[in-house]
Amino acid sequence: MSQSPLILDHVSKTFSGKMAVNDVSFTVNSGEIVGFLGPNGAGKTTTLRMALGLIKPDAGAVSLFGDTPGANAFGRIGFLPEERGLYKKQTARESIALMARLNGIKGKEAIRRADEMLDRYGLSDAKKKKNKDMSKGMAQKVQLLGAIVHDPEFYMLDEPFSGLDPVNQKILEDMVREIASRDRTIVFSTHVMEHAERLCDRIILMSGGKKVFDGTTQAALATAPRRLVVGSDDMEALLAVVTPMSEKLVKREDGTFSLIMKDQVKTQTVLEQLVQKQIGLTRYEPKAPTLHEAFVAMVGNDGLHSLPEDGAE
Amino acid sequence: MDVFGINLRRTYLIARRDYLGYVKTWGFWISFFLPVVFAILGFFATTLDLNLQPTRYEAILDETGQHAVKMQAMAKKSSDEVNRAIVLKLGESVLSDSDTKALETVFDTEGIEGARNYIDNKIPGLGKRLKVPAETTRYITPPADTIEALQPYLRGEKMVEYQGEKVRLNGVLHIYGDVPLYVNYWSENFNNAPARTLASKYFSETATKAYLNSGGLTQAGLMAAKTGSVELSTLDPSKAQSDETDTQVVTQRDRAPYFVAIGLALVLWFTIFSGSYMLLTSMLEEKLNKLLEMMLASTRFAEIMCGKLVGVAILTVTAMLPYIILGVLSVLVVIKFGDPELGAGLQDAFNAKMLIFFFVFLILGYVFYGAFFIAMGAMANSMQDAQTLTTPIMLVLSACVLVVPLGLDSPDSPILVWASWFPLSAPFASIVRLPTDPPLWELVGSALSVLISSVIIVWVAGRLFRYGVLSGSGVKGIKVWFSRVILRRKV
Repeated sequence: MSQSPLILDHVSKTFSGKMAVNDVSFTVNSGEIVGFLGPNGAGKTTTLRMALGLIKPDAGAVSLFGDTPGANAFGRIGFLPEERGLYKKQTARESIALMARLNGIKGKEAIRRADEMLDRYGLSDAKKKKNKDMSKGMAQKVQLLGAIVHDPEFYMLDEPFSGLDPVNQKILEDMVREIASRDRTIVFSTHVMEHAERLCDRIILMSGGKKVFDGTTQAALATAPRRLVVGSDDMEALLAVVTPMSEKLVKREDGTFSLIMKDQVKTQTVLEQLVQKQIGLTRYEPKAPTLHEAFVAMVGNDGLHSLPEDGAE
Repeated sequence: MDVFGINLRRTYLIARRDYLGYVKTWGFWISFFLPVVFAILGFFATTLDLNLQPTRYEAILDETGQHAVKMQAMAKKSSDEVNRAIVLKLGESVLSDSDTKALETVFDTEGIEGARNYIDNKIPGLGKRLKVPAETTRYITPPADTIEALQPYLRGEKMVEYQGEKVRLNGVLHIYGDVPLYVNYWSENFNNAPARTLASKYFSETATKAYLNSGGLTQAGLMAAKTGSVELSTLDPSKAQSDETDTQVVTQRDRAPYFVAIGLALVLWFTIFSGSYMLLTSMLEEKLNKLLEMMLASTRFAEIMCGKLVGVAILTVTAMLPYIILGVLSVLVVIKFGDPELGAGLQDAFNAKMLIFFFVFLILGYVFYGAFFIAMGAMANSMQDAQTLTTPIMLVLSACVLVVPLGLDSPDSPILVWASWFPLSAPFASIVRLPTDPPLWELVGSALSVLISSVIIVWVAGRLFRYGVLSGSGVKGIKVWFSRVILRRKV
């Protein structure tokens, strides 16, 4: 396996005069789980299509397994596109077996693997069920199984969590972890930050066709503003202490205050000063930063206009 | 294994999916067997109708005493003529010429039973198996002398004794008066009126004879004057001449190849049309299923397109199989049992050259039009889109079929020659020209014109297909597509 299965070098793509992807470069290393994040229209799908060679970049170069994307990568890639669909008249088994065969697995072995996948992911009853008779969630799982049935080296999953209920999202997360445990490389796009936070070693954030962040999840979280929720019976004294250390103060419905601390101020410092001034606290709760907050900090609310709050679809 | 960069296994898998996707449905098998069922029903329909129809008992109450006997003789003669034709057809098929002549004499003297015995003597068992239409009408003696007295019989209140059986009198033909003569037909089932039909024919012939006789003429003389006034023959100067003058006379054998060519051109048109339309719907289904993008991670565009072309081609042949089998059987039946001249003509028509060019143009025409329809399907986002996009090509395809009848009326027409060079109509025009034996280079040239056009169309369709499956431009985006995909302009 190549050390870097995917390299994008200053890649750009324009559609009808609109820059969909603007000078994007990144490398995906072998064995990584990379979250490809950004709001709708950020350029994630176009970038993934260029990475696969489905569309050609107007500028820049793409290297997939050390070569121009194309037939050399057949059988080594598991791709789940953003658009969902299956042949309606095929059964789940036939759908998965067809994808297995197209990826080089022969005859009965393709059927055996299809059955094994369906059994493993709780779809045994769907083996002989026609796709048109399945629920949306089941059909989506069948399509995902079709994308990974040949156990490829590199998984590209475009919005894999989209449209799944929480139970199936959890199953899919476990599936991603299980795949990663076998030293496979995974890139998945999403606009739901929680999945990325829980699964990814590394995050690439796209906004307006540009890459705005590329680093570890921890590095991304470090860019988020630190928030603290504080409350006291003596609010006047409390505010006198915290206001000079705060970037922003917001009164909450329960009477407590949520504050975003200035860059150089640590939560420990705030606590020390409140204790020193002998202010009785009813609430002191440092809030863990979220990726959503980190990205708002990076691109502003305008750049994330279509990005939902964490946990929302 | 790869051919021109196309992996045959993946192409086969796509073709198989497309083929089985249709073949594994009930609808397909119903439409598959429907023509066979209709053909079987059609084949037996006449016999069933004749044999299942109950025998009608009719009487002629002739107060003039001049017509009843003659009318019954006419009815018998008409029935005998049908049986005579059947007996002689069988004789021509299985007996020698002299035995057939003898069979004719036996039939004329001893009737159908005598003919059966004669055939049995020559080929044991065959005469007994000879079936002739059952007698549908029997003329019986009226059970009463007046029409009033016959009414209870006609209403079914009284039955008639006929050869030891009680039967219902279905109709009465009442003839009375002098000048004018009156003929009334009485029956409760007045839609089926064999005696009325018989009367109409009988009195028409009688009146004609009387009119001709009044002028000193006979009906036989009139017929002789009509048919014997001139010997009208059609001769073909390209046929070999010999001492016998009739060797150049145009026969059914000479005409058969033209009809066969037209038939094959229509089969070609229908196959291409139905195959292309299936490709369109298959492509649209594929696009709406949103699965292509996933397949493209493991399959080339060209492999998917070729797979579709091959899969739907085999599907079309499968769907046409009942028609092909029925067609071949019909031709074989005509060759074996039909008119010898026509049979020989059919054998001449289905020659190697005709069959080779038929399959060449079938394949090329299908690829040419099929690629068009795949591209249209890839560009469309709905059936309405597809209809809008394909209307122009449908009109062209419909216009092309108009050249086919020219093959019969004027096979050397310049329009037909030009049409055979125009790629859109070449497959159909070339086939209908074949009986006139055009130069081989012209046929090969026509095939090449379609081949070159097909290559261009497949290339264009491939690009449209590639962009079509990854975007949702629909009809409105055609100009943009053309500029970007074909002219490779940035829009």
